[in-house]
Amino acid sequence: MTFYYSIKQIARSPLKSLLFFLLIGGCAFFLALGGSFWYMGSDDLQNFDEKYTTIGTVEQKYEGTTTTSHWDPEAEAYEYYSGGYYGEWLDEDVLDFEGADYILEPRQRPFFGAYIENLYDGIGSPDMGTVEATPVETGAMYPSLLMRVVRTIDGTMEEGELFYLCDHQNPEPDVLEAGKSYVMQIQMRTFAHGPAVKEGEEILEYWLAPGITSTQYTLENEQVYDPVNEEERYYDEVTDGFYETERGKRWLKLASFQELKMRTIPVQPTDGTDLLMHFYNGEAQITEGRDITEEEYRQGAKVCLVPEFLAMRLGVGVGDKLNLPLYYADYSSSVGDASILGSQGPVLFNILNAQGELYEVFNEQEYEIVGIYTAEDKGSGSYSAGENEVVIPWNAVPENCWKDNIVGVAPMTGATTSFQIPNGTIEEFQEKWKSLGIDDLEIRFYDMGYTQLKENLENRELMSVVFLVSGCVMAVMILCFFSNLFITGQRERIAAERLMGRTKRQCALSILTGMLILSAAGCISGSGAGWLASEKAAESVGDTLEFDRTYSDNAVADAEPAEEPEPPGVGLPCATGAVLLAASAAVSAGYMGKTLKKEPLRMLGEIEE
Amino acid sequence: MERIKVESVSYSYQNKYQTVEAVKEVTCTFETGKMYVITGESGSGKSTFLSLLAGLDIPKNGTITVDGEDLSRIDRDAYRREKVAVIYQAFHLFPLLTALENVMYPLEIQGVARKEARERAEEYLKEVGIDEKKFGKYPRMMSGGEQQRTAVARAMASGGRILLADEPTGNLDTENEEKIVELLISLAHDRDFTVIMVTHNRQIAERADVRLVMKDGRMQVLSERDVSITGLAGQ
Repeated sequence: MTFYYSIKQIARSPLKSLLFFLLIGGCAFFLALGGSFWYMGSDDLQNFDEKYTTIGTVEQKYEGTTTTSHWDPEAEAYEYYSGGYYGEWLDEDVLDFEGADYILEPRQRPFFGAYIENLYDGIGSPDMGTVEATPVETGAMYPSLLMRVVRTIDGTMEEGELFYLCDHQNPEPDVLEAGKSYVMQIQMRTFAHGPAVKEGEEILEYWLAPGITSTQYTLENEQVYDPVNEEERYYDEVTDGFYETERGKRWLKLASFQELKMRTIPVQPTDGTDLLMHFYNGEAQITEGRDITEEEYRQGAKVCLVPEFLAMRLGVGVGDKLNLPLYYADYSSSVGDASILGSQGPVLFNILNAQGELYEVFNEQEYEIVGIYTAEDKGSGSYSAGENEVVIPWNAVPENCWKDNIVGVAPMTGATTSFQIPNGTIEEFQEKWKSLGIDDLEIRFYDMGYTQLKENLENRELMSVVFLVSGCVMAVMILCFFSNLFITGQRERIAAERLMGRTKRQCALSILTGMLILSAAGCISGSGAGWLASEKAAESVGDTLEFDRTYSDNAVADAEPAEEPEPPGVGLPCATGAVLLAASAAVSAGYMGKTLKKEPLRMLGEIEE
Repeated sequence: MERIKVESVSYSYQNKYQTVEAVKEVTCTFETGKMYVITGESGSGKSTFLSLLAGLDIPKNGTITVDGEDLSRIDRDAYRREKVAVIYQAFHLFPLLTALENVMYPLEIQGVARKEARERAEEYLKEVGIDEKKFGKYPRMMSGGEQQRTAVARAMASGGRILLADEPTGNLDTENEEKIVELLISLAHDRDFTVIMVTHNRQIAERADVRLVMKDGRMQVLSERDVSITGLAGQ
């Protein structure tokens, strides 16, 4: 009976009932939608944190500019160039400041040279060689001086072969005498020129290469003393017994130059694949196998990533072992730069140490190939992948075991020094860094748009909170308004029912039943609509995420399909609807209780007044 | 036959600013088959006295017994359901129920089946002179007199034989006022109702079997034909 009359009376005020139904349904819709957005936003933020990496690169700035001169033999004058120069070299320790919350600390990376015995597949290069030669006619080494090979120590030249030699660096080029023999390391550079060259002949000339000088350094960036370096002479006259002398012995050791050059590959130690810009920016992508894991990096596992072309040349694949005898470390440039110069792998110009000996292997271990990668040159210069570059965990090599094999040093550059910080902390890092007042280093951050995307996600989360809050506020206002309308506005009915002998509980039931039925219907409809809308929203968000992740997952190409964002399911709208219904019951019960406290006749008196 | 006995009843309540002593030491009895009229100025305690008789409040002092049962000791919801009905100046019908449904409502509260309730409600409405065509009308579609007669029918349907009327003719024209008064007198005299009416209307008061007046919470008999009123000692 209570139900019957309650529904009847609700049905007989259709406009009011419909309005209440629509408004409470609207609230339920906003709450369900806001809740879903909030859920998805939180989920996405967590996913984004896992997918994105924020790295910083460190580069020492020039302290100032200086003018350098080069002799221009054609103009017979010095040419002057302006160039930057460094002040005191800073090392990575200056970046170890309080509040620097590194995931991977900044370290200036060298690259190692590894000797791969079965790599050589040619007869050598004519570009460089070490020969004993004699001038066809006595003359200065400028312009081009025609020389005849007397003996080949290293390279592809043959005895009796003619070549042009020119010294472009010296304003007073030395005179080489015909009939005398000179040993030198030569490097092909430009076209021959001068009276010795026949008219119309286009032939390349050679310049003198550093040869037997050394470029050995300590970990403290100091060059190891070598008396041979004292003489700024890149050739020697060969006399009887010359090869028994210290310098003579060194020239003979250069016989290994071509073999070392052709069989040496660069090995890049790192604490994380993403710290290498060519992997980070997508120029290099793992196409087979997998990336080296964080754990493997941390533990220094004997694993490596190998470029596809090298793997083909060596006939190895994922799961195979690769022996890497490391014999030098170079801090002077990135692998990318070294490869550009050498074109067939990094060129070690000075293969002898300060003692005049070939560098010995400082570490030799077998590494399991866990991933094969392909790299393309997108013109990133220093940041590009090196030819034949093998990537290994830095911790796999005992720290500083290469201290006696350092062939070059340079200040930190963006291509050699990088670090990783938590996503979204760039501004915080920059503020702390600026407060240190160190101006000599330039730090650049890369986050693949994480900050912007996170901002968008946070905006979305904010929007969801706005939906939630507006839904809640709307709900409270609507519930108060309609409770007032349905309950306080029904004081007459309540009083009359009480006077008819209905208990307070029966009265409350009579009044609230209809309202709560309407409220339940509104909550179910609104929550259902909110759920459907959130599913649609999840689909469109999914499309966006697919694009974003393609952009961010550079290290591993096509490793895993883009994930759809996990929709919250039906549980969340059910929960928001239930909460709203409970709130509806609570608010209306509050109004009911307040109304029932009044004595009915007094209530009617108030109405009549 | 004595139906209601009021003995030394006092009642006070606390409003926002002070304690109001609305009813003071009232003693009286109300008998079956008579119409009582209580007059008095606004704030004299008439409506409060009526709510005490309706069992909506319990006296602070004294007792009210109905058919020999102390109101403070019985189920007062059941008392209102079964023994007493109240009508008001503003009718207070359920606005979203038809005239017929308004009368059926108290019957169904008592547990009468809907079909029977409908039949009985139709009878009550006919008795109070409501045209059959108006049975399905909502209160707002009826005249004041019709609404009040519907209210009387609803009171009759409640099953009780005590009818408390608080200014029932206050909103009616003379013609309808007359009809309602006749109806109430008829209920008292012909159907053994005890009708207790609060009114300011002197002409109606003069037609009552007993005229009472309340002043400052105290009760006084102005005229009586066949009823005993005590409680004047304190005046």
